[in-house]
Amino acid sequence: MPVNREQVKDLLGRLGLPQGREEEIQRELGDHVEDHAADLQARGMDAESATREVLDAVSNWQQFRNAILAAESEEVSMNYRTKALWLPAMCALILSNGLLAIFQVFGPAPRFYWFHGGKSLEIFCAFVIPWLLTQPVVGAVAAYWSRRAGGTVRYQLLAATAPATALMGLFLLILAFAIISDKHASHTITITGFLVLTVTWVLLPALPLLAGAAPFVRRPQTRS
Amino acid sequence: MGIDTRIKRGSGELAILALLDREPLHGYEISKRIAQMTGGVLQFNLASLYPLLYRMEKRGWVKGRWEEAPSGRQRRHYHLTPKGKKQLAPLREEWGLFFQALHRIAGVAHAG
Repeated sequence: MPVNREQVKDLLGRLGLPQGREEEIQRELGDHVEDHAADLQARGMDAESATREVLDAVSNWQQFRNAILAAESEEVSMNYRTKALWLPAMCALILSNGLLAIFQVFGPAPRFYWFHGGKSLEIFCAFVIPWLLTQPVVGAVAAYWSRRAGGTVRYQLLAATAPATALMGLFLLILAFAIISDKHASHTITITGFLVLTVTWVLLPALPLLAGAAPFVRRPQTRS
Repeated sequence: MGIDTRIKRGSGELAILALLDREPLHGYEISKRIAQMTGGVLQFNLASLYPLLYRMEKRGWVKGRWEEAPSGRQRRHYHLTPKGKKQLAPLREEWGLFFQALHRIAGVAHAG
């Protein structure tokens, strides 16, 4: 082992990190000492004094050791996207679906509307009006949370509309599955059903979600 | 005149990110460049530089890789990651605002 690395190892003591990482740190610090000492030698200092000067610049090796350990063990903070988008979006989704479940169990019966589109095309859609009325609150909570977490305007709007987006994703999956698996159903019926569902369960809830979010959406401030 | 450790730590992140935005550098080169470019006002030794670099690496702002230095020796070069690049603009803005504020209060730009 090179002399510089050996000296650093002695002064620093055992770090207790995984062996590969510990050796890497010792090697890197030894290289630093070597390069700095070489520069000092180029300016006329003898090798021993140069190395001594570089090592003596560290006034407290115990403190240095602790600082390295603190840096190595620093919890990687929850990343920005998780805090500013996924968590508020998940909150909105749970809140929205929780309210829907509550209204379906305890609320008034949903209102049904029937669409007649020709001889064989008959589709109905259901509206849970009280649930729709609560969606501005859901949008507001998600947008406010995202903004507080430093989310961009895009993240705030995406978080607020997450319940509608999730349903859209679900309907797309059902549509794909229906087209692939059900050979007997007319594609016209399947796609019309999908469009009706999209309007009633995606676009319609998205409007109150956005309306609720609107007063809270702001450009994020610079970190302070 | 030396710089207080707390100020040095805060400004160190910006200095390192800005340097690595130009090219990957190994630890000693980073400390040497900072000293040269600030006329020796800002200086980093082993104890002040590496905990900062390791913390930045943990946060994913920089990534260290063993590569051959111009001297022909293997050195751990730090590269700026896309995440680190994203950090640079707000840090620049933040420090700009900080100095403007200090200037308004204490006329820092005219001091010294």
